[in-house]
Amino acid sequence: MAGALRAIRTAGPARPFHCRGLGGAAGPPSTRQLREAEEAAPVFQYTGKAARRKDRVFVWGFSYSGALGVPSFVKPDAGWKKPRRIQPTPYRLETEEKISSAACGYGFTLLASNTTDITKVWGTGLNKDSQLGFQRSRRDQTKGYEYVLEPSPIPLPLEKPQQTRVLQVSCGRAHSLILTDSEGVFTMGNNSYGQCGRKVIEDEIYSESYLIHQLKEFDSRVVQVACGQDHSLFRTKKGSVYACGWGADGQTGLGHYNITSVPTKLRGDIAGVNIIQVSSYGDCCLAVSDEGDVFGWGNSEYLQLASVTETTQVNVPRHLPFKIGKIKEAACGGTGNAVLTEEGNIFVWGYGILGKGPNLIETAVPEMIPPSLFGWSDFNSDICVAHIRCGLGQFAALTNRGELFVWGKNLRGCLGTGRMEDQYFPWRVTVPGEVVDVACGVDHMVSLVKSFT
Amino acid sequence: MAGPAGLFAVYKPAGVAWCRVREAVETRLLRELNAAPRRAPRQQIRFLPTPAPAPSGGGALELVPTRVPVLADHPLVQGPRFRRLKIGAGHRLDVKASGVFVLGIGHGNKLLTDLYNCHLTKVYTVGGLFGKATDDFSDTGKLIEKTTFDHITREKLERILAVIQGTNHKALLMYSNIDMKTQEAYELAVKGLIRPMDKSPPIITAIRCLQFALPEFQLEIHCLHETQQYLRKVVHEIGLELKSSAVCTQVRRTRDGVFTLDDALPRTQWDLRSIQDAIRNCRLKVETEIEKTLGHRDNSPVHQLDVQTAHGADS
Repeated sequence: MAGALRAIRTAGPARPFHCRGLGGAAGPPSTRQLREAEEAAPVFQYTGKAARRKDRVFVWGFSYSGALGVPSFVKPDAGWKKPRRIQPTPYRLETEEKISSAACGYGFTLLASNTTDITKVWGTGLNKDSQLGFQRSRRDQTKGYEYVLEPSPIPLPLEKPQQTRVLQVSCGRAHSLILTDSEGVFTMGNNSYGQCGRKVIEDEIYSESYLIHQLKEFDSRVVQVACGQDHSLFRTKKGSVYACGWGADGQTGLGHYNITSVPTKLRGDIAGVNIIQVSSYGDCCLAVSDEGDVFGWGNSEYLQLASVTETTQVNVPRHLPFKIGKIKEAACGGTGNAVLTEEGNIFVWGYGILGKGPNLIETAVPEMIPPSLFGWSDFNSDICVAHIRCGLGQFAALTNRGELFVWGKNLRGCLGTGRMEDQYFPWRVTVPGEVVDVACGVDHMVSLVKSFT
Repeated sequence: MAGPAGLFAVYKPAGVAWCRVREAVETRLLRELNAAPRRAPRQQIRFLPTPAPAPSGGGALELVPTRVPVLADHPLVQGPRFRRLKIGAGHRLDVKASGVFVLGIGHGNKLLTDLYNCHLTKVYTVGGLFGKATDDFSDTGKLIEKTTFDHITREKLERILAVIQGTNHKALLMYSNIDMKTQEAYELAVKGLIRPMDKSPPIITAIRCLQFALPEFQLEIHCLHETQQYLRKVVHEIGLELKSSAVCTQVRRTRDGVFTLDDALPRTQWDLRSIQDAIRNCRLKVETEIEKTLGHRDNSPVHQLDVQTAHGADS
């Protein structure tokens, strides 16, 4: 018989174990309570599926010239802070736009973005020869800055500023080259040897100059520019190489040792050869053809070209008959050279700290750097070097995993290892991101990095 | 007669403290060693008084030489032959971890110190789970936070692992205390033989992803001077780096120096026969490794131990 109606106590919502109230029993939380508490906990989202990897710029090295682009290193923003002469490890540089190309000169840096905005190139560092264009001083409107401490825009005299894109920049000792996709090459800076591609004017004053020269007369579109110390190299789409500037070491490769002030096509062993890359930073130059051969000309005092000739200056491009495999990329430093082969191995020759220990000081024949120094092992057998770059006395290699290895003379902390000593074999630089490109200067370096996630 | 002596490896199951494993092996070995048949007791000639046979004498006692066992050799007087065995443990494993656990018996304990000084790498299989963060970095801890993880891909994880390997490789070269400017340092770096031979913080020499199925993943880690809690912390930090969170579900040591999973004895084989076979099988490997790494230092102790362990294992 239905007895008295009994109030049926419904189970309430699952409450966390610590809020038992006075009705529940005491004791450690049971597994069911723990599981319910866990399922009731909120889920936080820090990033979504469409999050893009961010592009960053890291700089390190000597900062007093302003080449690092961080003004607080040179002029601290608080009275008690000390100026930082050397930045020994990578330091992030905040930029407004995504930087696609960077170049380090002798005490100055150029950063370029391939945007269609009006401002495409920023420069920082030494500006005594207007290698960064005219930077109007804010204190005195008639004068320009001699040292630029922050990346400042460089106005270019473009015909179509909202359509032209800057592809690449390159810096030498006191001049800079800016390559655009449709308006040729812009040059600025010191022209005492004709390295800017215009006629040398006697007693010209280069500081606070507005002059930016435009070069358009080549056999086809220019696709790469490279700056040596006081000369410039241009590589065109058809595979030919043009040069202008100082030639006392034969670095213009035009068959004479005089100054050239108009870009002239090189002949010699590279006549008719399709060149896919040129490189220079000091007084020696290297070019790589599409078939994997390497050609060199210029200074050979440090055995850079001793494999073909005994003379210390070579003024015509010569083929370097190395039997090391097909060459993909070459990098030419002040006294040492390096090439990267198709298999991903680096070969070095020349003089100085070449990367094979303190005993190897000079060699005329390329020697391979063992791949185990770049992280290759039986455990990781697919690691290989993807790019090689040279500064004046140091080398930088990028692996396919996005790691940066440096070696050479550690002038004013330019290697970025955190120590002031020279590095005799490849050493990893800790950068918080995947390194996409690196530019080496005399005493500083700039790297373009993509963040991990 | 000494018991067995030498080095062998057992498989420590998860959820058990390492000292319990050591005591269990010791108890089992003691039981088997004490159950073995003992030497027959010594016999002696005693002149025992016995009543003279009738008819002559009749009640007088006569001393008769009899062969009796020496009472001092009776098992109830002597007690068990082995009361304790000297069993030492190699690199320890904590309660939640499992895997290869090296033990040494008798004279083999001296080889344990030598193996420690060789500073060989250990290999772990570490399992992780994305989406949770707990206070002790394992899935049994108190929940701190839950996060989303559907943005994680295998490429992102491998990028993080590559950079972990890179920074640890740098630490490996730095803590090895070799002057980087010498030719010797360059040659060791080329061969990959540089590693810290003294105390150093935990260093991971190699790390790679074995399996990846969201939310779970499994890593293989080769490391030096580590603790299992450090490996769980590494899993937690990988989760943070990927803008999510991760906990460690499993830590399993698959190799400790020269001892691999094949050499490790499971619980069913913790008996005298299998242990003696294991000691014999591993002896050569251990000696060659110690010889290679420490051989250029003093040679004599290793050879003396060699002779002693040979005698101990054969008996």
